[in-house]
Amino acid sequence: MNKLIGAVLVISSCSMLGFYFSSELKTRIDNLKELKKLLILLRGDIEFANTPLPEAVQTLSKRHDGTYKEFLENISKQLLDLKGESFASIWKKGVKEYLMHTSLVKEDYALLNQLGDSIGYLDKTMQINTLDLYLEQIDRTISELSESVKERTHLYNSLGIMGGIFITIILL
Amino acid sequence: MIKKEELLKIFSSKIRTLLSRLDINYELLQEIRLRANSPLFIIYDNKEYIVDCDGRLSDSIKNAFYIDINEIKETMEYISNFSFYAFEDEIRQGFITIAGGHRIGISGKVILDNEKIRSMKYISFINIRLSHQIEGCADKVMPYLYDGVGGCFNTLIISPPRCGKTTLLRDIIRQLSDGARGNKGLIVGVVDERSEIGACYMGVPQNNLGIRTDVLDCCPKAKGMMMLIRSMSPRVIAVDEVGSDEDIKAIKYVMNCGCKLIATVHGNSIEDIKNKPILDELIKKKLFERYIILNNESEIGHVEGIYDKEGLKIY
Repeated sequence: MNKLIGAVLVISSCSMLGFYFSSELKTRIDNLKELKKLLILLRGDIEFANTPLPEAVQTLSKRHDGTYKEFLENISKQLLDLKGESFASIWKKGVKEYLMHTSLVKEDYALLNQLGDSIGYLDKTMQINTLDLYLEQIDRTISELSESVKERTHLYNSLGIMGGIFITIILL
Repeated sequence: MIKKEELLKIFSSKIRTLLSRLDINYELLQEIRLRANSPLFIIYDNKEYIVDCDGRLSDSIKNAFYIDINEIKETMEYISNFSFYAFEDEIRQGFITIAGGHRIGISGKVILDNEKIRSMKYISFINIRLSHQIEGCADKVMPYLYDGVGGCFNTLIISPPRCGKTTLLRDIIRQLSDGARGNKGLIVGVVDERSEIGACYMGVPQNNLGIRTDVLDCCPKAKGMMMLIRSMSPRVIAVDEVGSDEDIKAIKYVMNCGCKLIATVHGNSIEDIKNKPILDELIKKKLFERYIILNNESEIGHVEGIYDKEGLKIY
Protein backbone atom coordinates (compact mmCIF):
# COMPACT_ATOMS: atom_id res chain seq x y z
CA MET A 1 0.00 0.00 0.00
CA ASN A 2 2.82 2.37 1.01
CA LYS A 3 4.58 1.65 -2.28
CA LEU A 4 1.47 2.49 -4.21
CA ILE A 5 1.01 5.80 -2.37
CA GLY A 6 4.72 6.59 -2.95
CA ALA A 7 4.44 5.78 -6.64
CA VAL A 8 1.39 8.00 -7.04
CA LEU A 9 3.13 10.83 -5.20
CA VAL A 10 6.31 10.58 -7.32
CA ILE A 11 4.42 10.41 -10.61
CA SER A 12 2.07 13.27 -9.71
CA SER A 13 4.86 15.55 -8.45
CA CYS A 14 6.99 14.92 -11.53
CA SER A 15 3.98 15.58 -13.75
CA MET A 16 3.28 18.80 -11.80
CA LEU A 17 6.88 19.85 -12.43
CA GLY A 18 6.38 19.29 -16.16
CA PHE A 19 3.14 21.29 -16.14
CA TYR A 20 4.85 24.05 -14.14
CA PHE A 21 7.62 24.42 -16.75
CA SER A 22 5.15 24.51 -19.61
CA SER A 23 2.98 27.11 -17.88
CA GLU A 24 6.10 29.21 -17.10
CA LEU A 25 6.89 29.22 -20.79
CA LYS A 26 3.41 30.50 -21.64
CA THR A 27 3.58 33.14 -18.88
CA ARG A 28 6.99 34.28 -20.16
CA ILE A 29 5.44 34.95 -23.56
CA ASP A 30 2.62 36.89 -21.87
CA ASN A 31 5.13 38.87 -19.79
CA LEU A 32 7.12 39.75 -22.89
CA LYS A 33 3.95 40.79 -24.73
CA GLU A 34 3.05 43.07 -21.80
CA LEU A 35 6.57 44.56 -21.84
CA LYS A 36 6.28 45.15 -25.58
CA LYS A 37 3.00 47.00 -25.08
CA LEU A 38 4.56 49.19 -22.39
CA LEU A 39 7.57 50.04 -24.55
CA ILE A 40 5.28 50.98 -27.45
CA LEU A 41 3.37 53.35 -25.12
CA LEU A 42 6.65 54.80 -23.81
CA ARG A 43 7.89 55.25 -27.36
CA GLY A 44 4.68 57.11 -28.27
CA ASP A 45 4.97 59.36 -25.22
CA ILE A 46 8.55 60.23 -26.18
CA GLU A 47 7.90 60.68 -29.88
CA PHE A 48 4.65 62.63 -29.83
CA ALA A 49 4.47 64.30 -26.43
CA ASN A 50 8.16 64.75 -25.58
CA THR A 51 7.31 63.61 -22.05
CA PRO A 52 10.27 63.33 -19.67
CA LEU A 53 10.89 59.83 -18.30
CA PRO A 54 9.64 60.29 -14.68
CA GLU A 55 6.31 61.58 -15.96
CA ALA A 56 6.10 59.02 -18.78
CA VAL A 57 6.81 56.10 -16.41
CA GLN A 58 4.28 57.47 -13.91
CA THR A 59 1.62 57.63 -16.64
CA LEU A 60 2.45 54.07 -17.66
CA SER A 61 2.14 52.85 -14.07
CA LYS A 62 -1.34 54.38 -13.85
CA ARG A 63 -2.51 52.90 -17.14
CA HIS A 64 -0.98 49.48 -16.62
CA ASP A 65 -2.48 46.98 -14.22
CA GLY A 66 -0.36 43.89 -14.70
CA THR A 67 2.99 42.35 -13.85
CA TYR A 68 4.97 45.57 -14.20
CA LYS A 69 2.75 47.90 -12.15
CA GLU A 70 4.78 47.77 -8.93
CA PHE A 71 8.02 48.10 -10.87
CA LEU A 72 6.81 51.17 -12.77
CA GLU A 73 5.30 52.80 -9.69
CA ASN A 74 8.50 52.48 -7.70
CA ILE A 75 10.72 53.65 -10.51
CA SER A 76 8.64 56.74 -11.22
CA LYS A 77 8.54 57.57 -7.52
CA GLN A 78 12.33 57.37 -7.24
CA LEU A 79 12.86 59.32 -10.45
CA LEU A 80 10.57 62.10 -9.24
CA ASP A 81 12.29 62.16 -5.84
CA LEU A 82 15.72 62.95 -7.41
CA LYS A 83 17.65 61.46 -4.55
CA GLY A 84 21.00 61.52 -6.30
CA GLU A 85 20.91 58.27 -8.25
CA SER A 86 21.27 57.79 -12.00
CA PHE A 87 18.42 56.51 -14.17
CA ALA A 88 20.31 53.33 -15.06
CA SER A 89 20.93 52.50 -11.40
CA ILE A 90 17.29 53.13 -10.39
CA TRP A 91 16.08 51.04 -13.34
CA LYS A 92 18.42 48.10 -12.63
CA LYS A 93 17.57 48.08 -8.94
CA GLY A 94 13.89 48.08 -9.89
CA VAL A 95 14.39 45.10 -12.21
CA LYS A 96 16.16 43.20 -9.42
CA GLU A 97 13.66 44.08 -6.74
CA TYR A 98 10.30 43.94 -8.51
CA LEU A 99 10.65 41.71 -11.54
CA MET A 100 12.42 38.64 -10.24
CA HIS A 101 9.10 36.95 -9.42
CA THR A 102 7.98 37.08 -13.04
CA SER A 103 8.45 34.31 -15.59
CA LEU A 104 11.12 36.22 -17.47
CA VAL A 105 14.49 34.49 -17.80
CA LYS A 106 18.11 35.59 -17.52
CA GLU A 107 18.34 36.85 -21.10
CA ASP A 108 15.17 38.93 -20.66
CA TYR A 109 16.59 40.54 -17.51
CA ALA A 110 19.84 41.28 -19.37
CA LEU A 111 17.82 42.95 -22.14
CA LEU A 112 15.89 45.02 -19.59
CA ASN A 113 19.11 46.12 -17.89
CA GLN A 114 20.63 47.12 -21.22
CA LEU A 115 17.51 49.15 -21.90
CA GLY A 116 18.02 51.01 -18.60
CA ASP A 117 21.54 51.90 -19.74
CA SER A 118 20.40 53.38 -23.00
CA ILE A 119 17.40 55.53 -22.13
CA GLY A 120 17.47 59.19 -21.26
CA TYR A 121 20.76 60.61 -22.43
CA LEU A 122 20.16 60.39 -26.18
CA ASP A 123 18.45 62.80 -28.51
CA LYS A 124 14.92 62.02 -29.65
CA THR A 125 15.74 60.26 -32.91
CA MET A 126 18.37 58.09 -31.27
CA GLN A 127 16.02 57.38 -28.38
CA ILE A 128 13.26 56.23 -30.71
CA ASN A 129 15.72 54.11 -32.71
CA THR A 130 17.00 52.46 -29.53
CA LEU A 131 13.49 51.66 -28.35
CA ASP A 132 12.68 50.27 -31.80
CA LEU A 133 15.71 48.02 -31.59
CA TYR A 134 14.57 46.64 -28.22
CA LEU A 135 11.04 46.20 -29.50
CA GLU A 136 12.43 44.24 -32.45
CA GLN A 137 14.43 42.01 -30.10
CA ILE A 138 11.37 41.38 -27.92
CA ASP A 139 9.31 40.62 -31.03
CA ARG A 140 11.90 38.11 -32.21
CA THR A 141 11.96 36.35 -28.82
CA ILE A 142 8.14 36.24 -28.70
CA SER A 143 7.86 34.77 -32.19
CA GLU A 144 10.59 32.19 -31.53
CA LEU A 145 8.92 31.13 -28.29
CA SER A 146 5.46 31.10 -29.86
CA GLU A 147 6.64 28.87 -32.70
CA SER A 148 8.03 26.29 -30.33
CA VAL A 149 5.53 26.65 -27.49
CA LYS A 150 3.30 23.74 -28.59
CA GLU A 151 6.17 21.30 -28.97
CA ARG A 152 7.91 22.44 -25.81
CA THR A 153 4.74 22.36 -23.70
CA HIS A 154 4.06 18.84 -24.96
CA LEU A 155 7.68 17.90 -24.27
CA TYR A 156 7.66 19.29 -20.69
CA ASN A 157 4.34 17.62 -19.88
CA SER A 158 5.39 14.25 -21.30
CA LEU A 159 8.84 14.44 -19.71
CA GLY A 160 7.21 15.15 -16.36
CA ILE A 161 4.88 12.16 -16.54
CA MET A 162 7.44 9.80 -18.08
CA GLY A 163 10.13 10.94 -15.66
CA GLY A 164 7.77 10.21 -12.76
CA ILE A 165 7.03 6.73 -14.10
CA PHE A 166 10.72 6.09 -14.72
CA ILE A 167 11.73 7.09 -11.17
CA THR A 168 8.89 4.96 -9.77
CA ILE A 169 10.09 1.91 -11.71
CA ILE A 170 13.66 2.39 -10.52
CA LEU A 171 12.53 2.81 -6.94
CA LEU A 172 10.33 -0.25 -7.07
CA MET B 1 9.21 82.01 -1.99
CA ILE B 2 11.95 79.78 -3.36
CA LYS B 3 11.45 76.18 -2.37
CA LYS B 4 14.95 75.32 -1.19
CA GLU B 5 14.51 71.54 -1.21
CA GLU B 6 13.06 71.60 -4.71
CA LEU B 7 15.92 73.73 -6.01
CA LEU B 8 18.66 71.63 -4.41
CA LYS B 9 17.26 68.48 -6.00
CA ILE B 10 18.70 69.46 -9.38
CA PHE B 11 22.30 69.30 -8.13
CA SER B 12 24.64 66.33 -7.88
CA SER B 13 24.87 64.78 -4.41
CA LYS B 14 28.13 66.58 -3.47
CA ILE B 15 27.01 70.04 -4.58
CA ARG B 16 23.61 69.43 -2.99
CA THR B 17 25.24 68.71 0.39
CA LEU B 18 27.45 71.81 0.15
CA LEU B 19 24.65 74.15 -0.84
CA SER B 20 22.32 72.81 1.83
CA ARG B 21 24.97 73.72 4.43
CA LEU B 22 25.06 77.37 3.30
CA ASP B 23 23.57 79.68 5.87
CA ILE B 24 21.86 82.07 3.46
CA ASN B 25 18.49 83.58 2.67
CA TYR B 26 17.41 81.91 -0.57
CA GLU B 27 15.28 84.92 -1.48
CA LEU B 28 18.50 86.89 -2.01
CA LEU B 29 20.20 84.15 -4.02
CA GLN B 30 20.39 85.20 -7.68
CA GLU B 31 22.67 82.79 -9.49
CA ILE B 32 24.59 79.56 -8.99
CA ARG B 33 27.40 78.96 -11.47
CA LEU B 34 28.98 75.59 -12.18
CA ARG B 35 32.07 75.34 -14.38
CA ALA B 36 34.12 72.18 -14.93
CA ASN B 37 37.41 72.30 -12.98
CA SER B 38 36.54 75.69 -11.46
CA PRO B 39 35.22 76.74 -8.06
CA LEU B 40 31.50 76.85 -7.32
CA PHE B 41 30.31 80.46 -7.56
CA ILE B 42 27.11 82.02 -6.35
CA ILE B 43 25.71 85.52 -6.82
CA TYR B 44 24.08 86.46 -3.57
CA ASP B 45 22.58 89.84 -2.78
CA ASN B 46 24.29 91.35 -5.88
CA LYS B 47 27.74 90.07 -4.87
CA GLU B 48 29.80 87.18 -6.16
CA TYR B 49 30.99 84.53 -3.67
CA ILE B 50 32.95 81.29 -3.85
CA VAL B 51 31.62 78.29 -1.95
CA ASP B 52 34.37 76.54 0.04
CA CYS B 53 34.72 72.84 0.88
CA ASP B 54 33.03 73.35 4.26
CA GLY B 55 29.92 74.88 2.73
CA ARG B 56 30.73 78.49 3.62
CA LEU B 57 30.79 81.64 1.48
CA SER B 58 34.21 83.04 0.77
CA ASP B 59 35.92 85.69 -1.34
CA SER B 60 39.09 83.73 -2.01
CA ILE B 61 39.76 80.53 -3.94
CA LYS B 62 41.69 79.11 -1.00
CA ASN B 63 39.87 75.97 0.18
CA ALA B 64 37.36 76.50 -2.65
CA PHE B 65 35.24 73.55 -3.78
CA TYR B 66 36.29 72.68 -7.32
CA ILE B 67 33.69 71.17 -9.61
CA ASP B 68 34.48 67.93 -11.37
CA ILE B 69 33.04 67.23 -14.85
CA ASN B 70 31.15 64.25 -13.38
CA GLU B 71 29.34 66.63 -11.01
CA ILE B 72 28.18 68.58 -14.06
CA LYS B 73 27.09 65.41 -15.87
CA GLU B 74 25.11 64.24 -12.83
CA THR B 75 23.55 67.68 -12.42
CA MET B 76 22.57 67.77 -16.10
CA GLU B 77 20.90 64.38 -15.70
CA TYR B 78 18.70 65.76 -12.91
CA ILE B 79 18.05 69.08 -14.67
CA SER B 80 16.85 67.25 -17.77
CA ASN B 81 14.75 64.87 -15.68
CA PHE B 82 16.81 61.94 -17.00
CA SER B 83 15.40 62.81 -20.43
CA PHE B 84 17.69 64.75 -22.75
CA TYR B 85 15.37 64.06 -25.66
CA ALA B 86 12.58 66.05 -23.98
CA PHE B 87 14.73 69.21 -23.92
CA GLU B 88 16.25 69.11 -27.40
CA ASP B 89 14.82 72.46 -28.45
CA GLU B 90 15.79 74.11 -25.19
CA ILE B 91 19.33 72.71 -25.33
CA ARG B 92 19.61 74.04 -28.88
CA GLN B 93 18.71 77.49 -27.55
CA GLY B 94 21.15 77.15 -24.69
CA PHE B 95 18.83 77.08 -21.72
CA ILE B 96 16.28 74.95 -19.93
CA THR B 97 13.57 76.24 -17.60
CA ILE B 98 12.85 74.01 -14.62
CA ALA B 99 10.02 73.76 -12.08
CA GLY B 100 9.85 77.04 -10.20
CA GLY B 101 10.62 79.03 -13.36
CA HIS B 102 14.38 79.02 -12.76
CA ARG B 103 16.38 79.36 -15.95
CA ILE B 104 19.35 77.07 -16.47
CA GLY B 105 21.85 78.37 -19.00
CA ILE B 106 24.14 75.73 -20.48
CA SER B 107 27.30 75.85 -22.51
CA GLY B 108 29.51 73.20 -24.04
CA LYS B 109 30.42 71.86 -27.45
CA VAL B 110 27.87 72.80 -30.10
CA ILE B 111 26.99 70.23 -32.78
CA LEU B 112 26.24 71.78 -36.14
CA ASP B 113 24.15 70.38 -38.96
CA ASN B 114 24.35 72.41 -42.18
CA GLU B 115 25.36 75.50 -40.23
CA LYS B 116 22.34 75.14 -37.95
CA ILE B 117 22.75 74.27 -34.27
CA ARG B 118 21.59 70.68 -33.90
CA SER B 119 22.46 69.99 -30.30
CA MET B 120 25.08 70.46 -27.61
CA LYS B 121 27.38 67.89 -26.03
CA TYR B 122 30.13 67.92 -23.40
CA ILE B 123 28.11 70.42 -21.38
CA SER B 124 30.69 71.88 -19.00
CA PHE B 125 29.20 75.17 -17.85
CA ILE B 126 25.89 75.64 -16.10
CA ASN B 127 24.37 78.86 -14.85
CA ILE B 128 21.27 78.63 -12.68
CA ARG B 129 19.38 81.91 -12.61
CA LEU B 130 16.78 81.89 -9.88
CA SER B 131 13.34 83.19 -10.56
CA HIS B 132 11.77 85.30 -7.85
CA GLN B 133 8.07 85.83 -7.55
CA ILE B 134 7.52 89.12 -5.75
CA GLU B 135 3.84 89.83 -5.32
CA GLY B 136 3.25 93.56 -5.08
CA CYS B 137 6.38 94.64 -6.96
CA ALA B 138 4.17 96.23 -9.62
CA ASP B 139 2.19 98.34 -7.11
CA LYS B 140 4.09 101.50 -8.12
CA VAL B 141 3.47 101.13 -11.84
CA MET B 142 -0.14 99.90 -11.83
CA PRO B 143 -1.77 103.37 -11.54
CA TYR B 144 -0.09 104.34 -14.82
CA LEU B 145 -1.26 101.24 -16.71
CA TYR B 146 -5.04 101.57 -16.40
CA ASP B 147 -6.68 103.67 -19.12
CA GLY B 148 -9.56 104.84 -16.94
CA VAL B 149 -12.27 103.18 -19.05
CA GLY B 150 -11.97 99.64 -17.79
CA GLY B 151 -8.97 98.57 -19.81
CA CYS B 152 -5.23 99.03 -19.77
CA PHE B 153 -2.59 100.61 -21.99
CA ASN B 154 -0.33 98.80 -24.43
CA THR B 155 2.83 98.68 -22.37
CA LEU B 156 6.48 97.90 -23.13
CA ILE B 157 8.84 97.12 -20.27
CA ILE B 158 12.40 98.00 -21.27
CA SER B 159 15.23 96.67 -19.16
CA PRO B 160 18.76 95.26 -19.38
CA PRO B 161 19.18 91.58 -18.34
CA ARG B 162 18.94 90.78 -14.60
CA CYS B 163 16.93 93.88 -13.74
CA GLY B 164 13.69 92.13 -12.90
CA LYS B 165 11.57 92.65 -16.01
CA THR B 166 10.03 89.17 -15.93
CA THR B 167 9.28 89.55 -12.20
CA LEU B 168 7.57 92.90 -12.87
CA LEU B 169 5.65 91.49 -15.85
CA ARG B 170 4.46 88.57 -13.72
CA ASP B 171 3.07 90.87 -11.05
CA ILE B 172 1.44 93.18 -13.62
CA ILE B 173 -0.30 90.12 -15.11
CA ARG B 174 -1.47 89.04 -11.65
CA GLN B 175 -2.83 92.47 -10.74
CA LEU B 176 -4.56 93.00 -14.12
CA SER B 177 -6.11 89.56 -13.86
CA ASP B 178 -7.28 89.86 -10.26
CA GLY B 179 -8.21 93.51 -10.58
CA ALA B 180 -6.34 96.24 -8.74
CA ARG B 181 -6.92 99.78 -7.48
CA GLY B 182 -10.69 99.50 -7.86
CA ASN B 183 -10.49 98.25 -11.45
CA LYS B 184 -12.23 95.08 -12.52
CA GLY B 185 -10.12 92.07 -13.36
CA LEU B 186 -9.35 91.51 -17.05
CA ILE B 187 -8.96 88.24 -18.93
CA VAL B 188 -5.23 87.93 -19.53
CA GLY B 189 -3.63 85.53 -22.01
CA VAL B 190 0.01 84.72 -21.40
CA VAL B 191 2.30 83.22 -24.04
CA ASP B 192 5.03 81.72 -21.89
CA GLU B 193 7.58 80.56 -24.46
CA ARG B 194 10.26 79.71 -21.91
CA SER B 195 8.00 78.80 -18.97
CA GLU B 196 9.54 81.65 -17.01
CA ILE B 197 6.43 83.70 -16.33
CA GLY B 198 4.09 81.04 -15.02
CA ALA B 199 6.66 78.28 -14.37
CA CYS B 200 4.06 75.73 -15.46
CA TYR B 201 4.42 72.17 -14.26
CA MET B 202 2.37 69.78 -16.38
CA GLY B 203 0.46 72.76 -17.74
CA VAL B 204 -0.46 74.31 -14.37
CA PRO B 205 1.24 77.61 -13.42
CA GLN B 206 3.29 77.37 -10.24
CA ASN B 207 3.52 81.15 -9.92
CA ASN B 208 0.50 83.28 -9.10
CA LEU B 209 -0.67 84.80 -12.38
CA GLY B 210 -4.14 85.81 -11.20
CA ILE B 211 -7.58 84.27 -11.37
CA ARG B 212 -8.46 85.28 -14.94
CA THR B 213 -5.25 84.22 -16.65
CA ASP B 214 -4.90 81.60 -19.39
CA VAL B 215 -1.39 80.37 -20.11
CA LEU B 216 -0.04 78.91 -23.33
CA ASP B 217 3.09 77.17 -22.14
CA CYS B 218 6.26 76.59 -24.20
CA CYS B 219 4.63 78.06 -27.31
CA PRO B 220 6.54 80.33 -29.71
CA LYS B 221 5.41 83.90 -28.97
CA ALA B 222 4.22 84.90 -32.43
CA LYS B 223 2.14 81.76 -32.99
CA GLY B 224 0.93 81.79 -29.38
CA MET B 225 -0.42 85.34 -29.54
CA MET B 226 -2.54 84.47 -32.61
CA MET B 227 -3.72 81.22 -31.04
CA LEU B 228 -4.79 82.92 -27.80
CA ILE B 229 -6.79 85.58 -29.61
CA ARG B 230 -8.65 82.95 -31.60
CA SER B 231 -9.19 80.54 -28.76
CA MET B 232 -9.36 82.32 -25.38
CA SER B 233 -10.71 85.83 -26.20
CA PRO B 234 -8.33 87.71 -23.90
CA ARG B 235 -8.55 91.45 -23.17
CA VAL B 236 -4.83 91.61 -22.53
CA ILE B 237 -1.98 89.53 -23.90
CA ALA B 238 1.35 89.32 -22.08
CA VAL B 239 4.65 88.12 -23.54
CA ASP B 240 8.27 88.21 -22.43
CA GLU B 241 11.29 89.28 -24.49
CA VAL B 242 9.91 90.22 -27.88
CA GLY B 243 12.28 91.10 -30.68
CA SER B 244 11.94 89.03 -33.82
CA ASP B 245 10.26 90.04 -37.04
CA GLU B 246 7.53 87.46 -36.48
CA ASP B 247 6.89 88.83 -32.97
CA ILE B 248 6.33 92.31 -34.35
CA LYS B 249 3.82 91.03 -36.92
CA ALA B 250 1.96 89.21 -34.17
CA ILE B 251 2.02 92.31 -31.93
CA LYS B 252 0.39 94.35 -34.72
CA TYR B 253 -2.21 91.63 -35.17
CA VAL B 254 -2.97 91.67 -31.43
CA MET B 255 -3.34 95.44 -31.39
CA ASN B 256 -5.53 95.42 -34.50
CA CYS B 257 -7.83 92.94 -32.80
CA GLY B 258 -8.50 95.43 -30.02
CA CYS B 259 -6.49 93.48 -27.50
CA LYS B 260 -4.02 95.20 -25.23
CA LEU B 261 -0.45 94.03 -25.02
CA ILE B 262 2.05 93.98 -22.19
CA ALA B 263 5.52 93.00 -23.40
CA THR B 264 9.14 93.17 -22.29
CA VAL B 265 12.26 93.81 -24.29
CA HIS B 266 15.99 94.00 -23.61
CA GLY B 267 17.30 97.56 -23.69
CA ASN B 268 18.30 100.62 -21.69
CA SER B 269 15.99 103.36 -22.91
CA ILE B 270 13.35 104.26 -25.49
CA GLU B 271 16.14 105.67 -27.68
CA ASP B 272 17.94 102.36 -27.46
CA ILE B 273 14.84 100.52 -28.74
CA LYS B 274 14.38 103.12 -31.51
CA ASN B 275 17.81 102.14 -32.79
CA LYS B 276 16.90 98.49 -33.03
CA PRO B 277 15.97 97.73 -36.66
CA ILE B 278 12.83 95.69 -36.00
CA LEU B 279 11.37 97.33 -32.93
CA ASP B 280 11.81 100.95 -34.04
CA GLU B 281 8.67 100.81 -36.16
CA LEU B 282 6.47 100.12 -33.14
CA ILE B 283 7.91 103.13 -31.32
CA LYS B 284 7.64 105.44 -34.34
CA LYS B 285 4.04 104.46 -34.96
CA LYS B 286 3.32 105.06 -31.25
CA LEU B 287 1.69 101.69 -30.85
CA PHE B 288 2.77 101.45 -27.22
CA GLU B 289 1.10 103.87 -24.86
CA ARG B 290 3.34 103.26 -21.86
CA TYR B 291 7.04 102.51 -21.52
CA ILE B 292 8.47 101.32 -18.22
CA ILE B 293 12.25 101.57 -17.96
CA LEU B 294 13.98 99.44 -15.32
CA ASN B 295 17.54 99.36 -14.02
CA ASN B 296 19.34 97.86 -11.04
CA GLU B 297 21.13 100.95 -9.79
CA SER B 298 19.77 101.13 -6.25
CA GLU B 299 18.05 97.71 -6.26
CA ILE B 300 16.98 95.04 -8.75
CA GLY B 301 13.79 96.07 -10.49
CA HIS B 302 14.21 99.79 -9.78
CA VAL B 303 11.76 101.76 -11.93
CA GLU B 304 13.84 104.44 -13.63
CA GLY B 305 10.83 106.02 -15.29
CA ILE B 306 7.45 105.55 -16.92
CA TYR B 307 6.84 107.31 -20.24
CA ASP B 308 3.69 107.89 -22.29
CA LYS B 309 3.39 107.21 -26.02
CA GLU B 310 4.91 110.62 -26.88
CA GLY B 311 7.97 109.73 -24.83
CA LEU B 312 7.12 112.15 -22.04
CA LYS B 313 8.07 111.11 -18.55
CA ILE B 314 5.02 110.67 -16.34
CA TYR B 315 6.79 109.03 -13.37
